[in-house]
Amino acid sequence: MTGFATKAVHGALLKPDAHGTLRPPVYDNVAFEFKDSHDIQLAFEGRKPAHSYSRVSNPTVDEFEQRVRLLSDALGVIAVSSGMAAISNVIMALAEAGTNVVTTRWVFGNTYSLFAETFKAWGLETRFIDMSDYRALAGAIDGNTCAVFFEVITNPQLQVVDVAEVTRIAHERNVPVVLDGTVTTPYLFRSKDYGVDVEIISSTKYISGGATSMGGLIIDNGLFRWKNHPKLEPAAKKYGPQTLLATLRREVYRNMGACQSPHNAFLQTLGLETLSLRIDKSSANALAVARWLEQQSKVASVNYPRLDSYAGKRLANRQFPRGVGGILTFDLDSRAECFAFQDALRLVRRATNINDNKTLVLHPSSTIFCEYSDADKTAMGVRDTMLRLSVGIEEPEDIIEDLQKGLGAI
Amino acid sequence: MTIKVNGEPQKVASDPLTVAKLLEISRVESPEMVSIQVNGEFVERGSYPTTVLKEQDEVDFLYFMGGGTR
Repeated sequence: MTGFATKAVHGALLKPDAHGTLRPPVYDNVAFEFKDSHDIQLAFEGRKPAHSYSRVSNPTVDEFEQRVRLLSDALGVIAVSSGMAAISNVIMALAEAGTNVVTTRWVFGNTYSLFAETFKAWGLETRFIDMSDYRALAGAIDGNTCAVFFEVITNPQLQVVDVAEVTRIAHERNVPVVLDGTVTTPYLFRSKDYGVDVEIISSTKYISGGATSMGGLIIDNGLFRWKNHPKLEPAAKKYGPQTLLATLRREVYRNMGACQSPHNAFLQTLGLETLSLRIDKSSANALAVARWLEQQSKVASVNYPRLDSYAGKRLANRQFPRGVGGILTFDLDSRAECFAFQDALRLVRRATNINDNKTLVLHPSSTIFCEYSDADKTAMGVRDTMLRLSVGIEEPEDIIEDLQKGLGAI
Repeated sequence: MTIKVNGEPQKVASDPLTVAKLLEISRVESPEMVSIQVNGEFVERGSYPTTVLKEQDEVDFLYFMGGGTR
């Protein structure tokens, strides 16, 4: 079983179902019973492979995690309640007051807020750099750097950096690399092949199967030697390559309570089964739409990593041979034009999500980034003239016909 | 030889006794998912056949439930 879709559909069943069902039931429960006191003690000590409480582990969530592990060839996977929960759990496991994280200045708006405000209050410094400036990356890492964090394709700037180069620089300095692979998933980008230590994903997006449910994933590729990480070095003696997973499962993840609900895990396991089909379709649609937008006189510019006009096209093609997903941005002449364009759309939905089955439009400057000053937005690459399209899986002719209505309104 | 396995004293005859042999004779559940510590220190899976146990060693078979660990 080597193909992505084959693995996604068949997965790896942990235990045979009592009724032989091909679709395991949803274990939408909280607690599990044990045959005697000794048995429950062993489970709590981690000396028996048993679920005890669904905030810590659950059979349906476990099946989802196993399926993702199979697809990513990772050491282990933990499913959480959202993509932001995945980031916060990993950073809380790696960081402590007095340490720093090196990240891109072009992280997702809420991720920026998490680092610049939430974690700052607890004594974690974040160094925002241009991640494509590899000299700046090397200079920003010091003895207190606990992680390098970045997005595989930034949203909404759509910047692509050389992931292997970033991991090389970080690893030379014994610093683990955490990558947000939400927009690519293991189908478009196998982070393990590029030396990424930990991948986090908002499975709310592509993986959920069409915005069905919230979820996040922590994928430990098993590459980093945690004995070289100052905070986790004591745990590494006990847990070896499982150090991060054990620290999460037995401390951070367990204590913070950001578990994924079994019902969401069930929906997201279903989503995995059609993931490659939907990504292929939305990627092809996005390219068709991007090429069409480039031909329109009212459109000032279009940004999509598969276009000939995209500055980093060669790197994007090499790193993402299957495609670059469904997100593109384009610029009109003003915010007023952007609003008029959006309001004229009838098929394309005005909503803040990405990688839905439906095509979605958003004006990032007045929504996700509304709490930031103009100067901050400029630094974050967010222009008032920019619209983001998350292209879905409809027929491309219908999407383009609707976009024509939008352009007709300006 | 007496060792402690998951906190319980056990008399084991095998000589020499490796971690791999102990894993086999202990018939642990889901051995592919187990993580092993000897005297509180992690043992690499590849070292199970060459890690020899001695009298009074404490061996723990641990599971990190969920997470698809291997």
